[in-house]
Amino acid sequence: MKKTHCSGQTLIALALALALVVFPFIVSSPVTRNLMILIFLYAGLAQAWNIVGGFAGQVSLGNAIFFAVGGYTSTLLLQHAALSPWVGAIAGAMLAMILALVVGWPVFRLGGHYFAIATIAIGEIALALMANWEAVGGARGLTIPFVRDSSGRPADTWVWFQFNQNKLPYYFIALALMFTLAGLTAWLDRNKPGFYFRAIKNDQDAARSLGVNVLRYKLLAFVLSAAFTALLGTLYAQYLLFIDPESTLALRLSVLIALVAILGGVGTVWGPILGSFVLIPLGELSRAHLGGSGRAVDLIIYGALIVLISVFQPAGLMGLGRRLRGK
Amino acid sequence: MRAREGRAVETLLQAVASGVLIGLVYALISVGLSLIFGLMEIVNFAHGEFLMLAMFASFWFHLLLGLDPLVSLPLVATLLGLVGLVTNRLVIAQIIRAPMLAQIFATFGLGLFLRSVAQFLWTPDFRLIQNPWLSRLFGGRVEIVRGVFVGVPQVAAALLAAVAFAALYLFITRTKMGLALQAVAEDKETAALMGINSQRMFDLGWVLGSACVGVAGAALASFYYIYPEVGGTFALIAYVVVALGGFGSVPGALVAGLVVGLVEILSPVMLGIAPSLKYAVVFSVYLLVVLIRPQGLMGRF
Amino acid sequence: MALLEIRGLTKTFGGLTAIDDVSFRVEEAEIVGLIGPNGAGKTTVFNCVSGFYEPTRGRLHFAGHEITGWAPHRVCRLDMARTFQIVRTFSDLSVLENVMVGAFLRTGNRAQAERAARHVLELMGLAAKAEMRGGSLTIAEKKRLEMARALATKPRLLMLDEVMAGLNPAERQAAVELVRQVRAEGITILMVEHVMEVIMPISDRIVVLNYGRKIAEGRPETIARDDQVIAAYLGEKYRGRH
Repeated sequence: MKKTHCSGQTLIALALALALVVFPFIVSSPVTRNLMILIFLYAGLAQAWNIVGGFAGQVSLGNAIFFAVGGYTSTLLLQHAALSPWVGAIAGAMLAMILALVVGWPVFRLGGHYFAIATIAIGEIALALMANWEAVGGARGLTIPFVRDSSGRPADTWVWFQFNQNKLPYYFIALALMFTLAGLTAWLDRNKPGFYFRAIKNDQDAARSLGVNVLRYKLLAFVLSAAFTALLGTLYAQYLLFIDPESTLALRLSVLIALVAILGGVGTVWGPILGSFVLIPLGELSRAHLGGSGRAVDLIIYGALIVLISVFQPAGLMGLGRRLRGK
Repeated sequence: MRAREGRAVETLLQAVASGVLIGLVYALISVGLSLIFGLMEIVNFAHGEFLMLAMFASFWFHLLLGLDPLVSLPLVATLLGLVGLVTNRLVIAQIIRAPMLAQIFATFGLGLFLRSVAQFLWTPDFRLIQNPWLSRLFGGRVEIVRGVFVGVPQVAAALLAAVAFAALYLFITRTKMGLALQAVAEDKETAALMGINSQRMFDLGWVLGSACVGVAGAALASFYYIYPEVGGTFALIAYVVVALGGFGSVPGALVAGLVVGLVEILSPVMLGIAPSLKYAVVFSVYLLVVLIRPQGLMGRF
Repeated sequence: MALLEIRGLTKTFGGLTAIDDVSFRVEEAEIVGLIGPNGAGKTTVFNCVSGFYEPTRGRLHFAGHEITGWAPHRVCRLDMARTFQIVRTFSDLSVLENVMVGAFLRTGNRAQAERAARHVLELMGLAAKAEMRGGSLTIAEKKRLEMARALATKPRLLMLDEVMAGLNPAERQAAVELVRQVRAEGITILMVEHVMEVIMPISDRIVVLNYGRKIAEGRPETIARDDQVIAAYLGEKYRGRH
C-alpha cells in the first residue's frame, strides 16, 4: 500500500513539474511571472525551514539571517572581488552553514525554547548591525549594477547571473530550486536522517536511547536549512539587483517563512509548497487592495493565522486534507 | 588630572546607578515569565506585547482621562492581570498538551497579532507622557552622590518594581495560595492528590505574572517612549534574565535582572563600544549563560 | 568477564543521595531482576548505566569497555538498549517507523532497516499493527512497541524498566513469554519490576535495593526468605508462599 502511495506521489510531482515548466509559455504576463517566482522562492524558503522546524521540530524564528548571508555574500563578492554570483552563492551557502553550526552547537543541547529565543535574538541583532554598518551598505542597502551589452542596454548573462531582457531564466532557476528541495525533503523523509529528525521531534531522550546522536542530527538539519536558504538569498539579490537589511533580515520575513510551512503542513514534503501557493497570492492581493500603508495589516492576519492554526489545526492544510479523506 | 579621574568615577557611578534602577524593572518584567514557565513549562512569547499594552494603557489613561501614570498604575496592573487570565483560558488551555512547535507558535502568533493591531490602531509613532507628576517631584532629578543624578521617575520605577517584587515573593513563600502555586510547579500530580486544583493555579500564575508586567509597564510609562514595537527589546531582555536567573526561580529573576541591567548600561562605558551594540553584549551574555550554566543561577522557585 | 559490571555506583542530586555504593554484575545470557520499594533508586541505576545520568562516584563496565559518564547514544552503540518506565513512543510515527528508528542504528539502508523492523514486529506480535500511528496504541501495545524498538538496535543487554506496570494479568503473561523469548535469542536482560509474581519466577538472580543501597543479592528463592528484604519490602504473606 505504501508503494502505490509513493509512485502516486511521484506521478503528481511529475505532472506538477510539467505544468509549471509549460506555464510561462502559456501565460506570459510579467506580473504573473513575478508572482510565480515569488511563490517558488517562498516555497523554497519554507521547505528549507521545514527541514529543521517541521521535521526535526526545532523552531527557528530567525532563518531570514541565512537569506541575508546568502544575498549579501554573493553581492559583496561581486562588488569587491568581481566574482560571479554563482561562486558567490556557494560561498554564501558555506558561510551560512558555518553560522548555523556556531549558533546551533551551544544552543541545541537545551530545550526548544532556548533555541527559538536565540534565533529571534540573532535576527534582531543582525538587523541592527547591518543597518548601521556602512561598509556593507547600511540601511540603504546594496545595488547591483546592470551588466550591459555592446549597445549599452542591460543584458542577459548567465555568467553574471542577470537576465534583464528576458526574465524567464529566473523563473526556471527558482522552479529548479523548489523541486530540488522537494526532492531532498522526500529523500530525507524516506531515509535515516528523516527518521532520526522525526524521532528527535517526538521524543529526543527516547531517540538518544536508540543510539541517535541528537546534537549531530539537529545540527545537520540546521545546516541543510541554512545552506538552501542562503542559495535562495543569492537568487533574490540577483533577481532584484538590490538588497537591504529591511527586506532580508526583518522578523517579518522569518515569520512568513515559518507561516508558509505551518499553513501548508509542517513535516510534510508538499506542505510548504502548498502553503506558498495559497499564502503568497493572498499576500500580494491584500497588499494591492489594503495598501502598504505601513499599518501592518498583513502582520495582523499572519499573527491571527499562526494562533488559529496552532490551536485548531496544527497539521496545516495537508492535515486538513488527510482528515477530509478520512484517514 | 584629578578632575578627569573624578569625572570618570562619576560616569561609572552614574552608569551603575542607572543599571541598578533599570535592572530592578527588568527583574519585575521577567519574573512573570519565569513564574509561568515554572508552572506550565510554557514560554510566553507574547510577554513583550503585554508590557507594550500596559504602557499604552497608561498613556491612554493619561491622554483621555488625565490620570497620572502613578495613579492609574493599579488599574493598569489589574487590566493586565485580566489580559493574562483571558490569554490562559482562551489560548494556552488549548495548547497545553500540544507539541512544543504549536506552543511556541501560539504565543508567538499572539504577540505578533497584538503588536500589529497596536500598530494599526495607534500608528508606529513614538509617544511620550508629557509632564507626569513624578517628573515634577523634586524638580525631576535626585542627586544620590555628588555629581551623580538620576531621574525621579526612574527611581520611582525601580522602587515600585522592588516593592512589587517583594510582595510577590512574600505571597509565594508565606501564603497558603502561594505555597500551593509552588507545589504545582514542583509536581502537578502530587499537588492534585493533595487537593490543589492546578487549573486554578495556572490561572493565578498568569494573573500574577501579567499583573507584574502591568506594574512594570505603568512605571516605565512615566519616562519611557511608548510605541508598538517597544515590547520586542524588553522581551528579549526578559528571556536573557530568565535564562540567567533560572527558569522558574523568583529570586533568580531579581539577581539576573540586576546583572543584565548593569551589563547593558556598563558595557558601552567599560568596553567603549557604541551604545547601539549594547544589546549584542546582552545577547552574548545569553549565549554564555546557556553554554556554561544552562540551569541558570538559581534553578527552581 | 561479566557483561555488565557496576562498582560502587553513587549518585547524588544536590543534598539528596539517590543511590549509594551499589555494586553488582550481570553475566551474559542471564535475566537479572532489580527490585526494591518505591524510591529505592532502581530507575536511577538504570539512568546511570544507560548514560542519562552522570554518576557521582563509581565505575561502570560494559562488554569490556568502561562506560562511566558516556552519553546515552554512545552507550547504545555498544549494544545496550533500554525501555522507559513511562512509555515514550514516537507518537507521530507509525509502529513500523518507530521500530525502524531502532533498526537504523545498524544500517544506513532504508530497505534493510525496514526488513529488520518487520522481523522484530513479527517476534513481538505487532506485525498486524505496523501501519498504525504509534500514539494510537494501548498501553500494553506501546510497551511491546518500546521493547521491539529497543530490540531492533540488536543489543546484547536489554534493560527493561517496569514493563509490567499497567498491564492486566493476560497481558502480563504475554509479556513474560516475550521476555523469555528475547533471552532465548541470546540477549541478556536486566529488569526493574514491582510486580513480584512476575519477576521472581522469571529471574535467574535478584538484586534488592532499599533507600539507595543494595541490601541483598541472590537466587529468587533465597531472596524471598531473606529477613532484611522481607522487612523492607515483600511483606510476610510472600514469604509464606515460597
